[in-house]
Formats: sequence, C-alpha cells, structure tokens
Amino acid sequence: MFAFVESIRMALSAIWGNKLRAGLTTLGIVIGILAVTLMGTLISGLDRSFEKSMSFLGKDVLYIAKHEWFGDQEWWEVRNRPDLKAEYVEKIKSQSKYVKAAAPVAMRTADISRGKETAVGINMLGTTAEFLQTAFLNIDDGRFFTEGEDRSGARVIVIGYDVANLLFENENPIGQKVKMGHYVFRVIGVAEKQGKFLGMFNIDNRALIPFGTYQRLFSRRGWMRLDVKVDPEHIEEAKDDITAILRRLRGLHPGEKNDFAINQQDAFRQQYQTMKLAIGGTGIFITVLSLVVGGIGIMNIMFVSVKERTREIGVRKAIGATPGSIMQQFLLEALFICLFGGFVGVTLALGGSFMIDKYIFPSTMPITLAIISLVISSIVGILAGLAPSYKAARLDPIEALRYE
Amino acid sequence: MADMIKLRGVKRYYDVGGEIVRALDGVDLTIKYNEYISIMGPSGSGKSTMMNMIGCLDSPTEGTYEFEGEKVHEMDDNQLASIRNRKIGFVFQTFNLLPKLTALRNVELPLIYANVPREDRLEKAKIALEKVSLLDRMHHKPNELSGGQRQRVAIARALVTNPSIILADEPTGNLDSKSGAEIMNVLDDLYNEGNTVILVTHEAYIAEHAHRTLHILDGKIKDDVIKNKPKTKITVLKKKTPA
Repeated sequence: MFAFVESIRMALSAIWGNKLRAGLTTLGIVIGILAVTLMGTLISGLDRSFEKSMSFLGKDVLYIAKHEWFGDQEWWEVRNRPDLKAEYVEKIKSQSKYVKAAAPVAMRTADISRGKETAVGINMLGTTAEFLQTAFLNIDDGRFFTEGEDRSGARVIVIGYDVANLLFENENPIGQKVKMGHYVFRVIGVAEKQGKFLGMFNIDNRALIPFGTYQRLFSRRGWMRLDVKVDPEHIEEAKDDITAILRRLRGLHPGEKNDFAINQQDAFRQQYQTMKLAIGGTGIFITVLSLVVGGIGIMNIMFVSVKERTREIGVRKAIGATPGSIMQQFLLEALFICLFGGFVGVTLALGGSFMIDKYIFPSTMPITLAIISLVISSIVGILAGLAPSYKAARLDPIEALRYE
Repeated sequence: MADMIKLRGVKRYYDVGGEIVRALDGVDLTIKYNEYISIMGPSGSGKSTMMNMIGCLDSPTEGTYEFEGEKVHEMDDNQLASIRNRKIGFVFQTFNLLPKLTALRNVELPLIYANVPREDRLEKAKIALEKVSLLDRMHHKPNELSGGQRQRVAIARALVTNPSIILADEPTGNLDSKSGAEIMNVLDDLYNEGNTVILVTHEAYIAEHAHRTLHILDGKIKDDVIKNKPKTKITVLKKKTPA
C-alpha cells in the first residue's frame, strides 16, 4: 500500500523531471483524444440539429413531388415527368381513409416591400388552410388564412418571423399592408420562429398566401408539392393507397414505372445515417491511428526511461523492491503520461466544441465522451507501458547495479 | 552463539558465450552473530559473486544457503527481494543513492518496500541518520553532500531496517583516506554495538578492521583467518560534521 503511494510519487516526479520529453511524447495521444472527442461532439451536435430539423417534417407526413429527394434514378428518366396538379389533393383525400389532411404547396421566390424596406428573395408559398396541420406550423400573432379566403383569392399574407422583423421592426404587423410586385397584401399573421432546416435553409425567411390567390396572380404551372398527413399507424397502407390513386389519375399501365415520388422523413434519415457513418468512420480511423502512433511513442520513451534508470532499478531491487513494485512504478509512469495527454486532448476539445457551438452549430461535449476518452487514454498508457515495465521488473539486480 | 548464515557446497556457474565460468566453486561458510568479516581476493577471484550470494542478489547453481533458517537457495525473486529488504543492508563502493531524492528520502526507501507507515518511516530514517551524524543534512540531495557524507547516508539506508547483516562492498574505494577512515569508524562502531558486518576489500589495512578474513581464489575459500582481538580503534580523529 505504502509502496503503491510511493510508486505514484516516483512516477509523477520522473515525469516532472522530464517535462518536455513527456509533453512531446504525449502529443500523439493528445491528437487522438482530440479527434475522438471533437468527432463525438460534432456528431452529437449534428444529431440534435438533425432531430430539430426533422421536427419540421412530420413522421406521418408524405411529400408527393415530381422527384425523389434522394433518388438514384438517372436524370433522363425523371426529367419528363408531368407536373402535379392541385386537383389531386381532393382525390387523395376522398379516396383513402388513411389520409388526415392534405395541402398543395406551390413556391416561388419574391420580394416583399413596405415603404422603403424590401425583403428580397423570400420563399413565397401558396397553400391551403390544411397546411397548418401538415406543416406543424404555429402562428405567433394573428391567424392563418381560411378556406373561404383561399377560394375567393383574397389578398392576405402570413409572413415568417424574420420577414416580420425586417419590415416591421417595432410595430405590430397585423392588419398592415405590404406589396409584392404590383399587388398589395394585408398581413393577417406572423409565423413563430422556427430556425434553419439542417442548418441550411432559413425557414423564417418565407411568406404564405392562399393557394387560390397564388394561382390567380402568379402561375398555374410551375413547381408544386402535395403535403399529405396520414394516419401514423398506417403509413405504409396510406402510401399504397396514394400510389394507386395517382397511377389511376395518370393512367399508368401496370408495367410502367411511377412518374411521381412519395417522399418521407425517412429519406433524410437514411441520408443522414450514411453521412454520420462516414464522419464517424473517419473520426475513428484518425483516432485509432494517432492512438497507435502515440502509444508506440510512449512505449519508446518508456524503454528509454528504463534504460536510463537501470542503476536506480538495481538499487531499488537491492534494498528490497520486488519485481512487482518495479513494474508498478513504470506502468504508473506510462499511465500518467497518457492520462495527461488525455486531459490536454479533452481540454482542447472542450475549447473546440465551444468554438463550434458559437460559430458553426449548437453543440456541447457530452460528459460521458470526456470520461470515455480518459479511459481510452489510460488503456493506451497501460498497454504501451507493459513491455518496458516488464523489462524493468525482470532486470537482474547484479547487472543493473553494474550498469554505467 | 547460533549460526546466522550457512553455505554448504555452494557453486555458481555462469555461461559466458558457451564457456562455463566457475565464479564460485564449492564454498562452505558459516557466519555467526556479531562477526566482523573481511573478504579479500584479486579481481576475478569470485569475491563479488560471494558478496552477491551472501547478499541474496544471486542464487546458487548448486549447494544450499540458509539464512537464519530460511532456505535462500529455494527462493523466488519476490522472496529474495523480501529477505534482502528485511535482513540485509547494502553499502556500495559508488554509494548508489538516488540522485533526485534527499538524504532523508533515500534512507526512508527500504522502509517503503517494507510497507512501514509514513510516520514510522520518517522517525526511523531520522534515527538512522543521527547514528551517522548527518541529521543536520537530511534535506540535502546527494550532489550537495561530500563523498564521505554520501557514504554515511548509504550506511544509514543500510541500517534503517535494522538488518541482521551489513554488507559493505569496497566502502572506501571511492573516498580519500580521511573520509575512508571516517567510514571505517562508523562500521567499527556498528560492529561494537553488536551488528554483523561483512567487508569486501582488496586493501589489507581495511581488512585489518575485521577479526576474521576470508581469502578467495578461483571461486574457493583459500584461507579463513580468525584473530581474537579485532582492531576497532582508529588513529584519525572523528570530527563532527559542521552544519
């Protein structure tokens, strides 16, 4: 027991006596631990922002569009697909019992202005009242448009959080007028702040107008999507239903391929899993590589340390140190060097994760990851220390005492 | 008095590149309590091997070695370490102090391996340092001490576990004659207090301190001379070390 405390003391003072050497040796471990913790932090941050983004896409919402989100078809196979039509919405709703709500979504970019202020490049959506159910949208202020407004083509607009902030800095936007091209719209609602989708598209930078109005003022053709909310218990059945309905509407023969796509959150999930695997795999590769290199470095320096202190080992043995206590002393030395490297790595990663959090995307280092890193560096230390410590323990005291 | 050490037919052979070196070639030796023995012999005679054998650093190839009834020739590394720790105090020609530790920590070291609690360790280490009149230097490191002082620290380290035997291998070999005389005084005192001391030397005047001299040649004890009255007083004045 006292010999163990002494071993710790001796190990620490041996490291302290060779600060620079120990510091340089531990660099590989530092890099390895830094890589593993940063990668872990990154992935956990990505996970969180992915899940948050996914909450914009309901699990039980199908997105019917011309193209697959992550299709593997060749472009020439899909380029001639016919456009979707708004009439499909009613057909789908009436013909499948699993469909809860459906809304057509048409989109284009537009500039919205008020007096001298102009919000440029706003994503302007034309949709129906049921969009509220398919899109998990909450209205902060005011209201969404009604079916009546949709049918009559009323010039009302719901604006996104950022648009409202830009055009109406300190005013209540409700009831105010904004202009889009020549057309004047009355603001009836402001959407709550939603953030960015996968850190890329700003969802708050948009405006919504009734579908009827959109078609009358802008285009009857163009990009369109159908959002369909289905019974969460019967998603697969709903997909089959909708496929059958659309094939019938399109008049496709049994042998022909679908000329439309039913997209789901799952497509993103699969894509994301692939990406995560790639990041994680690279991270683990770098980590293992630098830990192996670092471990060999530690082993090397421990062999040097044993060689340098051959005489000391001889003296200790002569006065009663057992092979076990000599082994313990050198193992502890290797362990402490690696643990120190681990601490430095974790500290740097902590700093790094703060930077990522501040400048890239929200992320914090999970505490379990820090603990795992320290455990890993301890294991590396012990493994790297085994051979040199064993050598020290087995030294013949007579030879060791004679060593110059 | 009872026998402390009994070597019977001890042989130690080394294999040096296919050639067998007979470092010890059949040694019978009995050492009783409170003897003062010197071992002499030219280099290559086997006196170092003899010393290592008595010090339990080495095990015999053949023969038996009993130390206070314990069969040393049957011991493994851990048991040898233990018997060295408990029963033997080494004093080396080159002192062999650990350079990074203070005198006190050096003296304390054997007690650490004997698992003595810290408080007791410090107390015993201080008593041992006082015996060699170096208490005032206990916080100095070896490089801050003179050769004679270093060897006295080494003697304190050998004494601290209260061993059965003190083995000194050329203890004055690296010292000037005055420091050497000082060290011999300390060893004489230890003998007079009832300790058993073994000296390895090739200087006749050093060997004279002992009351029994073993001459080793070609791995055998050539000569075993016992004088009745060992010379224990020395001519050089023993001065107290200035603080």
